[in-house]
Amino acid sequence: MYPFGYQRIDTPQALKAAQQRQRGEADKAVSYLAGGTTLLDLMKLGTLAPAEILDINGLAHDYGDISWADDELRLGALVRMSAAADHPRIRSDFPVIAQSLDLAASPQIRNMASLGGNVLQRTRCNYFRQTGWTACNKRQPGSGCAAMEGVNRKHAILGVSDHCIAAYPGDFGQALVALEARVDILGFHGTRTLPFHQLHLAPGSEPERETVLLPGELITGFHVPIGPWTRRSLYLKIRDRESYEFALVSAAVAMHLDDNVIRDVRIALGGVATKPWRAHEAEQQLIGRRPDLPAFEAASKVAFAAAVTRPGNRYKVDLGQQTLTRALLQLAEMEV
Amino acid sequence: MTQQSIRFTVNDTPAEVSVDPLRRLADVLREDLGLTGTKIGCNAGDCGACTVLVDGRQSCACLVPIGQAAGHAIVTVEGLVAKGQLSQLQQAFQDHGAAQCGICTPGMLMAASDLLAQTPSPSEQDVLDALGGVLCRCTGYRKIVDAVLSLGKTTAAPVSRNAVVGARLPKVDGLAKMTGAERYGADSWPADSLVLRAIRSPHHHARFGFGDFAALFAAHPGLVKILTAADIPGQNVFGIYPTGKDQPVFAEGYARFRGEAICALVGDAATIAAIRDDEVPVEWETLSPLQGVEAALSPHAAQLHETAKGNVLIEGRLARGDVDAAITKADIRLSDNFQTSFVEHAYIEPEAGYARRVGDRLEIFATTQTPYMDRDEVALIMGLRQEQIRIIPSAVGGGFGGKLDLSLQPMIGVAAWLLNRPVRCTYSRPESMASTTKRHPASIAITVAATKEGRLSAVRFHGDYNTGAYASWGPTVANRVPVHAMGPYHVPAVYCTTRAIYTNDTPAGAFRGFGVPQAAIALETMLDDLAEKLDLCPFEFRYLNALDKGSVTASGQRLDASVGLRACLDALRPQWERLRLEAADFNETSRHLRRGVGVGCGWYGIGNTSLPNPSIMRIGLKRDGCITLYSGALDIGQGSNTIMMQICADALGVPLSIIDLVTGDTDLTPDAGKTSASRQTFVSGAALRLAADDLRGQILRLANVGEPGRFALDGRTLRVSDGVTDQVIDLARLPAAGENGDVLVGEGRFDPPTTPLDADGQGIPYATYSFSAQLALVEVDIELGTTKVLRIAAAADVGKAINPTQVEGQLHGGVAQGLGLALMEEYIPGRTENLHDYLIPTIGDVPPIDTYIIEDEEPLGPFGAKGIGEPALVPTAPAILNAIRHATGARVTRVPATPDRLRAALRATGRYEAAK
Ligand SMILES: Cc1cc2nc3c(=O)[nH]c(=O)nc-3n(C[C@H](O)[C@H](O)[C@H](O)COP(=O)(O)OP(=O)(O)OC[C@H]3O[C@@H](n4cnc5c(N)ncnc54)[C@H](O)[C@@H]3O)c2cc1C
Ligand code: SF4
Ligand code: FES
Ligand code: FES
Repeated sequence: MYPFGYQRIDTPQALKAAQQRQRGEADKAVSYLAGGTTLLDLMKLGTLAPAEILDINGLAHDYGDISWADDELRLGALVRMSAAADHPRIRSDFPVIAQSLDLAASPQIRNMASLGGNVLQRTRCNYFRQTGWTACNKRQPGSGCAAMEGVNRKHAILGVSDHCIAAYPGDFGQALVALEARVDILGFHGTRTLPFHQLHLAPGSEPERETVLLPGELITGFHVPIGPWTRRSLYLKIRDRESYEFALVSAAVAMHLDDNVIRDVRIALGGVATKPWRAHEAEQQLIGRRPDLPAFEAASKVAFAAAVTRPGNRYKVDLGQQTLTRALLQLAEMEV
Repeated sequence: MTQQSIRFTVNDTPAEVSVDPLRRLADVLREDLGLTGTKIGCNAGDCGACTVLVDGRQSCACLVPIGQAAGHAIVTVEGLVAKGQLSQLQQAFQDHGAAQCGICTPGMLMAASDLLAQTPSPSEQDVLDALGGVLCRCTGYRKIVDAVLSLGKTTAAPVSRNAVVGARLPKVDGLAKMTGAERYGADSWPADSLVLRAIRSPHHHARFGFGDFAALFAAHPGLVKILTAADIPGQNVFGIYPTGKDQPVFAEGYARFRGEAICALVGDAATIAAIRDDEVPVEWETLSPLQGVEAALSPHAAQLHETAKGNVLIEGRLARGDVDAAITKADIRLSDNFQTSFVEHAYIEPEAGYARRVGDRLEIFATTQTPYMDRDEVALIMGLRQEQIRIIPSAVGGGFGGKLDLSLQPMIGVAAWLLNRPVRCTYSRPESMASTTKRHPASIAITVAATKEGRLSAVRFHGDYNTGAYASWGPTVANRVPVHAMGPYHVPAVYCTTRAIYTNDTPAGAFRGFGVPQAAIALETMLDDLAEKLDLCPFEFRYLNALDKGSVTASGQRLDASVGLRACLDALRPQWERLRLEAADFNETSRHLRRGVGVGCGWYGIGNTSLPNPSIMRIGLKRDGCITLYSGALDIGQGSNTIMMQICADALGVPLSIIDLVTGDTDLTPDAGKTSASRQTFVSGAALRLAADDLRGQILRLANVGEPGRFALDGRTLRVSDGVTDQVIDLARLPAAGENGDVLVGEGRFDPPTTPLDADGQGIPYATYSFSAQLALVEVDIELGTTKVLRIAAAADVGKAINPTQVEGQLHGGVAQGLGLALMEEYIPGRTENLHDYLIPTIGDVPPIDTYIIEDEEPLGPFGAKGIGEPALVPTAPAILNAIRHATGARVTRVPATPDRLRAALRATGRYEAAK
């Protein structure tokens, strides 16, 4: 371990003071600590070495609630994964959210990890995590990408660039992107709210930049609109073992079905893309169509039309299409 | 980092520590508060061994910064015991045999406590969900599920308190595993210990030299010593075979695999943790690595060891009959190639221990499967006499073969010796995975032939086994596989060859089965091919060809007794027929799910292949009338302590309560060999039986009573009777005979009778074999390529089940490991050195398992017993793969059958594209 500073932030005032300090020292790596399940893990590996850690768990009164408005669900950034997954109304009204959380990590980690931390978890690309590998543009800009010719069975095929093919590992993020959630961000100058899909960046030529967050900005919560598709929603995750494992491929889907016609549909894909991935073209294909296998298969093809594969992850096109088709079929058959 | 004062409660008691707030809770509990019941298996959230309750909810203590614990209530396993009584949950674990090695038990108990607090009568699914974040490598989870479910119910576990052979006696050493009191390698250390950490090669193949260490010492005053090869007092080499020792403790300027130790830092704990690997001045010159056997065998490949031309370490061979003629003559012949992967033992306890110098002797407390071999090897490395080394095995948190080779023992030994200070070391998970042995990956080419009536006529088998950078147990694999490769079947013509090949991969060594499970995958798949082509039932096809009493094996050994394979199959037949029908019914109406049922058989020669492997056991009688069992048969979770106590009590006819067990300390117990090759029950058990007979004989002679005499112990009063005369002897008056104050000492030695194998592999390689057969019911999603194992039925002929609960435990554990081998486990050197990139089955992956214990008694074994550890695992992967094939037609020739590989195999059948 390296010499870190550790400070507990228990009030919004303390947060503001810390953010102000941080503005003065823009090059000092400061990290918020929520559940710590990503941060401590990566600090131990030496992948991350923040100079200072601000423990935000004391802000749970401010940003730790689940609440409802007429037209939306509000999730505080410090809500624990298990609290959201076990919430009866989320389970019934937002199955895709509950399932994406339930199928993630382990019971212990779900008890510890926060929703804010969850969406900001870092890629599982081994070359990124293990500092022994020299070539990783994300960890060390300009150093190359060991995964391109290395072991890349779990890497992304959508949204990749010549600089990085790391998959976004989270599950919950796909649910948020499918449901067109918005994210609240608190910076020194106040709050801004973004569509969730704008939070993450595809790697492009700067894989080290993963989100649009500015130094010191804090995610305080999420708004998820209630729509005629939210109850008919689900998360399907394909992985190498039953629990406690990241997705090879996953699909977060939601559908408004009326009179056996697809009025609206939302598709997000996980395990295959560099950021929470919305499959707009595939959605377009389906709107106005009947919910049948040919339609779903055609849409699944479209969803992966832009895939760029390596030998190790070529299978993800086929598996991804199968997964999406299955998710849509299950969705159409769902009793709501 | 500045220290902060942090207050919280632990087990309802206020605690205050003044520490770096970013230290992990698990670390503070163990190191600062002495609560070592909380285990660290990975330090990364991957294993759940560190599970504690934080405000009542299960959490990974390895990912909680202690600063965050401030003001919260922590409960650890030590807090489950109330007023000296086990909680109901702990008692249920003990009674159900839910702990084997016990390293996962604290985490399991805490996760289950959280569940039961919220859901007092959980469903099975609740249990699977709640315990899904704690890994267990030993039990296959089923007895854990049963234990937790029993709490809501009134039915008690079928335990027996009677210490006789055949009884379901709960583990004699189980209580400490329930309470957290058990001391594993990392749980005990002298207070003034220094800490050692090895620096390892980050390259698969490289030359290196050290720079000047002065700057490092100057920057880190707490750094006491940097050990290198130059510090080794004796020989800088170790290895299993006396003539083939080839692995250095510290590489000397040349590293043959990624993870090889090149030097070690010794100093105070904080300093050693703070030094980054890249601060150590090393100049590397990387060389192109030979990864995989193909690279190592290519004509231009560099030669990695002077003695191994073409990188071939050793070849094995067995020939019987004229194989070419038999294949040509047969009605049908089929050939194929198979590939298996490196498989990691993934015991939840990483290597750990400490060493200290006591006068002119060296004491090593460490996790190990083989204290006596450790002693002899450390003596060579230290340049000391064997008597100068004392190995005190810690409780072992899983081994499966991976703790048969030396790991940290010589490093801490040398450090403690040179510095005259105790030195401790605990491997990190990545270090453990990168540096210790694996299951050999095998590339197998096989041809099988049969008559149209379904009699096997010939098997030709060639297996190249990747032994990695060093020999380790490569020779054992090369010798054992040819004997077993044709399976437990009568095959008139056999030609089996094997090679162990050096590469720049992680060394492969001993892992439950020594190469046999890999061979069984190839053979058993081919048997299903034959059955299909011949239009025979795969089950009856095996039955027809199964070895039986009077059969002669491919090595020319006549099996006169204890050949229970057909009995295993008979036990499974009703399930086979029912499940096959049910699967067919299911498939009629199913859209994308297909069910299938497969069978696999296995056999396993107990003990070393044609090499002596004696055990000596000793029983002492003390003046107070107590018996001491001196057992060097190390219990690594498989339960030999309990087995030996049962054999001892039954053979002497005395109650368990008067027997003390002294185990595995090389100063106190005679050499009972290693805990491997399923040999302890058979070999050490037989030695123990002889020791009991010896003691009994001495007692009778003491009283001048002839056979059939009986004796009874009542405190210091010994009564001996032959039915006519009664003798009463006051033990307190007898002179001590042994060094431990024993007045009588019985000793037994047993070495299973074998003969050497000739150049054609003919001879008697093993005194006895265990047999096993399993069925798997699987459900394959043909569109997604996922496989769910729904049920396993496992039958094994163990000769005699000394303790049926433990036999079931071995079967369950073997099945879980076999399932992992078939479906998910693949170690890639340098890429999967942790428990999230390397996957082992979780509680949700292991289906219900039906067990059938067959007891075809082995005359040489204690009470007829032979072994079970490895035969439990051999048939599982074949049964699963055959079930997948029955379900879908897809043949899998490369394991693990992950969704991507299975999709490819499904496409190759050509059956499913039409549906798309
Ligand atoms: C063994 C294991 C298995 C896992 N499996 C899965 C899985 O299957 N699916 C899945 O989705 N995830 C999985 N995870 C990841 C896990 O879900 C995340 O680690 C977790 O959600 C992160 O949340 P946290 O609160 O612990 O974040 P932290 O570790 O506290 O923080 C993560 C990052 O976000 C920053 N941060 C945290 N909160 C905020 C905030 N409010 N505003 C701004 N920045 C913030 C931190 O500075 C840090 O950089 C797994 C993790 C482990 C260890
Ligand atoms: S894929 Fe991205 S994270 Fe992985 S090595 Fe390449 S640049 Fe680094
Ligand atoms: S030690 Fe904490 S999860 Fe493995
Ligand atoms: S008993 Fe679970 S890991 Fe050994």
